[in-house]
Amino acid sequence: MQRITCPERDDWRATAEACGFDFHSVGGERYWDERGYYAFTLEEIERQIEGPTGEIDAMCLELVGRAVDDEQYLRRLRIPEAFWPLVAESWHRGDAGLYGRLDLGFTGHGPAKLLEYNADTPTTVFEAAVFQWTWLEQAIERRMIPKAADQYNSIHERLIEGWKRIGKGRHLHLTGVTGDAEDAGTLAYLEDTATQAGLATTMIDIEDIGWREQGGFVDLERRDIGLVFKLYPWEWMFRDEFGAKLLEAPTRWIEPPWKAVLSNKGILPLLWEMCPNHPNLLPAFFEDDPRARELGTSFVRKPLYSREGANVMLISEGVAFAEQEGPYGAEGFIRQAFADMPRFSGQYPVLGSWLVEHTPCGLSIREDENPITGNSSRLLPHAIL
Amino acid sequence: MADKGSLMKRSRRVMLTMMGSAAIGAVSMGFVPKPRCGPGEIAVGGEDGRLHCRATYGGFGGTLHHFHGEGHGHMHGGG
Repeated sequence: MQRITCPERDDWRATAEACGFDFHSVGGERYWDERGYYAFTLEEIERQIEGPTGEIDAMCLELVGRAVDDEQYLRRLRIPEAFWPLVAESWHRGDAGLYGRLDLGFTGHGPAKLLEYNADTPTTVFEAAVFQWTWLEQAIERRMIPKAADQYNSIHERLIEGWKRIGKGRHLHLTGVTGDAEDAGTLAYLEDTATQAGLATTMIDIEDIGWREQGGFVDLERRDIGLVFKLYPWEWMFRDEFGAKLLEAPTRWIEPPWKAVLSNKGILPLLWEMCPNHPNLLPAFFEDDPRARELGTSFVRKPLYSREGANVMLISEGVAFAEQEGPYGAEGFIRQAFADMPRFSGQYPVLGSWLVEHTPCGLSIREDENPITGNSSRLLPHAIL
Repeated sequence: MADKGSLMKRSRRVMLTMMGSAAIGAVSMGFVPKPRCGPGEIAVGGEDGRLHCRATYGGFGGTLHHFHGEGHGHMHGGG
């Protein structure tokens, strides 16, 4: 694994905006950054990223199978009791998930380590699937990177195939916070892939979902919502007023309710408990578990529910040296051992390893001067050399 | 583990059929205007006898507003 500096395309902003990627910069700062790229060997991709990603996902599915009917697990994950039947039923019914992203610590030396699993509402999928690929093709054409460069990336075509299997010709609603550019862009991209899979689609803001007087979720035209992709976290849906309606509605949600187990940082100690010393896991414990002392005074503290690094704290020898602010933490924290995270040109990279229908199929990389990857961390392309 | 044939994707074609700046803009603005029945209201039939809105809206999104209300500016559903 190397970080290689390269020239950027002089027209990349126009190219981005032409295909709907208008959140390429955040607050005037670059979010997409192609002044460098990360290079991997094919062996690194296949043996150290693709293989372990499939193995970690399989462990996660085994964990979900154990957790959904086990009160102890569900309590440890702080999933509200009222929603245990929703979570369990969706699992036993075999409700399909579409995609997810493992965040991995990887240096090229030693095994990749699971930092967390964005199983419920992963963003950056358009950038990873499409814009990163466009970069590869154009950078080769313009002789900015070697002609033989390749990329680990079949996310786009797998999403289309996934929609064909999951949608089976049904009408698909897509919902989320459409006033947010990043979420709207992610939803528009997923709508595009669903359309290419032959599904009729309707986009609707999460706040515009209605509840029919006789029961059932409806859109603004009072059409039944039978199958819906949501880019809105399960833990928020549980708290919202309509959360109480979820159990009585026939709606099928993507990602399904059982993903509430996997999007919870509590899976990190549960995985470590289930597969101790697994080479792709870091030691992790619930903060109130006496075994957390095994980590000593240096560890990463993460809220059970958190997104984009919010409320994550890095503690070395008892002293916090990095922290992201945020609203999370009321449900408790876990502690995880530090991953070996050397810097590349002064940057901390985190690998996003993508799965569609549980098949590992792509890679994206966020980097930051800050060791906690957050909303403003830049996304860089990768290539196989 | 995928074989090299499925991993090496130089021949892949990544196409978008409908996504573009205009589409994103449309999403941000909302594709369909809200009906008159706002959050918590159940509309009734009009004089023409047609039901205009018999649903309650606004039951999702509260947690997002709660976080915004606490001053956490950049909150959204994805992560």
